[in-house]
Amino acid sequence: MQKGHRHPLSHMIAEINRIFSGLGFVFAEGPEAETEHYNFDMLNVPKDHPARDMQDTFWFKDSDVSEPTVLRTHTSPVQARYMESHEPPIRVIVPGKVFRNESTDATHEAQFYQLEGLYVDKGVHLGHLKGTIEYFFSKFFGGETEVRFRPSFFPFVEPGVEVDMMLKGSDSKLANKWIEVMGAGMVHPNVLKEAGIDAEKFSGFAFGMGIDRLAVMKYGIEDVRDLYTGDLRFVNQF
Amino acid sequence: MKVVHDWLKEYIGDEAPTATEIAELLTFHSFEIEEVVSVGEDDVIDVDVLPNRSADCLSHRGIAREISTLTGKSLVYDPLATKPEMSETNKLKITIENAEACRHFDLALITGVTVKESPEWLQRRLKAIGQRSINNVVDATNYVMFGLGQPTHVYDADKFLKDGDVWHFGVRLAKGGETVTTLGGDEYQVDETIQVITNEADGSYVGLAGIKGGAHAELDGKTTNIILEAGNFAPSLTRKASQKLRLQTDASKRFENGVSTNIILYAIAELTRLILEIAGGELEGYAHARPVDINNQSVSVTLSHMNALLGLTLIEGEVEDIFERVGFVYTKTAEGAWEVTASFERTDITIAEDVIEEVGRIYGYDKVVSVVPEAVPVVEYNHRHYYSELVRDVLVANGFSEVITSSFRKKDQIQLLNALASDKSYMRSSLIKNITESLDKNAAFTDLLGAEDTRVFEIGTVFTKDEDTVKEHMSLSFGVRLKPSGYSGKEDKVLQGIVTALQEALGVDINPALEKGVAEIDFSNIISSLPPVTGYDSVAVAEEISYKAFSSYPSMSRDIALWVTEGTTAEEVMQVLGEHSGELCVRTSLFDEFTKDGRTSLAFRLVFQAPDRTLTDEEVNAIMESIYKVAAGKDWDVR
Repeated sequence: MQKGHRHPLSHMIAEINRIFSGLGFVFAEGPEAETEHYNFDMLNVPKDHPARDMQDTFWFKDSDVSEPTVLRTHTSPVQARYMESHEPPIRVIVPGKVFRNESTDATHEAQFYQLEGLYVDKGVHLGHLKGTIEYFFSKFFGGETEVRFRPSFFPFVEPGVEVDMMLKGSDSKLANKWIEVMGAGMVHPNVLKEAGIDAEKFSGFAFGMGIDRLAVMKYGIEDVRDLYTGDLRFVNQF
Repeated sequence: MKVVHDWLKEYIGDEAPTATEIAELLTFHSFEIEEVVSVGEDDVIDVDVLPNRSADCLSHRGIAREISTLTGKSLVYDPLATKPEMSETNKLKITIENAEACRHFDLALITGVTVKESPEWLQRRLKAIGQRSINNVVDATNYVMFGLGQPTHVYDADKFLKDGDVWHFGVRLAKGGETVTTLGGDEYQVDETIQVITNEADGSYVGLAGIKGGAHAELDGKTTNIILEAGNFAPSLTRKASQKLRLQTDASKRFENGVSTNIILYAIAELTRLILEIAGGELEGYAHARPVDINNQSVSVTLSHMNALLGLTLIEGEVEDIFERVGFVYTKTAEGAWEVTASFERTDITIAEDVIEEVGRIYGYDKVVSVVPEAVPVVEYNHRHYYSELVRDVLVANGFSEVITSSFRKKDQIQLLNALASDKSYMRSSLIKNITESLDKNAAFTDLLGAEDTRVFEIGTVFTKDEDTVKEHMSLSFGVRLKPSGYSGKEDKVLQGIVTALQEALGVDINPALEKGVAEIDFSNIISSLPPVTGYDSVAVAEEISYKAFSSYPSMSRDIALWVTEGTTAEEVMQVLGEHSGELCVRTSLFDEFTKDGRTSLAFRLVFQAPDRTLTDEEVNAIMESIYKVAAGKDWDVR
């Protein structure tokens, strides 16, 4: 019997888990149909923030749910859920499917996979964020990588940064150039407080990136929509 | 926000860094740069201003101030530096209905202006950011919006009906059924959720507050007396109104993100100054209504907190130098903390972490040193992931390939409130249909993929309706298709074998639902009965994968069977076939082989496909003919 093929996203998620579990990060998960409370409120997203609008977020009908519920727009609500039910030190990753109500093209799908990372402990700082991301990429792409930060803004972190990475000295097409890969930052004190963590005592970093985008980088996939067509002409190459 | 280099120089001075230097500085300390382009003689920098900095940086002055912070050199001209002296006039009157919705509203009356073409420098700057020049007075209002970030509007005073001997402006929520005609002549239906500017003399609506000025009392070549207007409107109200009216403007974009209430008087004074300079006339005076003032509060922050969060070892002097560059006023408390207050236009500094971010980004994130956290043991294992991996191993070993399909369906149990498309408005409650569709599609590729049959599986979330809530669980579905023509009836037997293999691996009965060659189980339910996980199995190192974009054009198969002399191997024949079948042949496989009377029969299937078109029979037949000729030359008999 000829062997079948794993989906590239499964390959990558297993690999991501292997790398992060090596540092003690727990593979956490949460619901895809998420309440507004966890998807937005707990993450310091203002009540009238445009991200909550219908044109960005899929909402369930009031008649189907007991409280306002969306298809989660990011894996970040799992941060809040995990922090509520656990005491620091906390190290988690959350690979999972997320949804955005936006038109699709070769680099955008209405459903895609995201990887969230969270580390909360005494004395966690931006250097740990940089070190962790560098460690991950070096293992994931199998070569020395360098990471740099640029200022950015997300309601759930402060400071917030955009992360670029550069794969050094390999012969990959990606090598030796800066590529924008994720948003990250230090967990906003409001997010820690909301989840019942003493923000005076603990600090944390969080990051979120598209796993689909990692697939584009790792395998040279040209159209992310191919990941979700159930087409074996695509899957059987992995 | 498009920023003209020459315009920045008005504030920074002639010693300003070049456009490229500015782009580099802003990229690593402030904002992403979309591009730097030349428009005529001007360099234009397209700055992606972050949402928390819209209040101060959707303006040339704001960007100039940011550059001044980064270079440490003061601005040569700062319109926000000195509070303007403002004479009042009793000819203007303002009534604000809702103070929360309209925090400030200022007017100015100027008489004796000459409306004409703008001076060349003004036309050029506006043109560089893609704005059309109208006339000197209107251009001045745009110049102040893009210069200082405060939208303004201007009326012809003589066309604006007076209330007795005063011009009386109102700001209020509209009544339903009314319309507002904006500049350019478009008419908008307004309702009680939309704030409008009114002429209180007759109650008419003269503008959409915070979004667009009305066509009422529009300027023309004969205009001599003008009224300037500047307001501060609530962000959320403006955003909702702009969405409802489907009218997004440079003004609404600014109010949506919040404009400092304090900037208004500087802006109307600057606008007055500019109009007197380029259109002449005389200022009669101002009128102000300021029901709500929003002022920055001081924020307490310590050096140790700062270093602990940034992972830096800054000293007091370095931090205070940054405070001064950014324009923060600070004092030191007895306990050693700083009390920091940001300048009024910076509405984003409200907690210690905001101050810390300012120091970090201005100092430079490149100075943050990487520290990999010390490894600790994993405290919890993910059951779902562990058992999914186990199932993947079993299914892949049995020839199944994994798919991840759409969570949306055309029709199912739960409909979304807002769907992407009519065929994607429901959430899937089962994977069976998705797997069936995947089998239908992939069965046609059997030859192309060199497979004997088609086998796919998916592990994914499905959504079901349960009384007053949406339930979700992980479903596992796998299906087989033996013939490209469709379900043959023999697939269920294959599935039974797979079920047995899965049951052996998981150690429990799984009793799937079977539907025409597709099985599905509630995987979450199965997992809950499985033993706890105490460690992850090692991840198999993936073989070197070189992905190639696949052709979406149909493939065509041809079989060829040959009698060859005993001793001639299939590999030899395959090599010859490979040499002559050309680039369009994407796969050659041996599917039959037997020996009889000292001769061997070899049967091959050749699959042809083009990357850019559908192949014709003639094309493929021609290739086959050339192969037959080669075979004849080798003394191979085509059967």
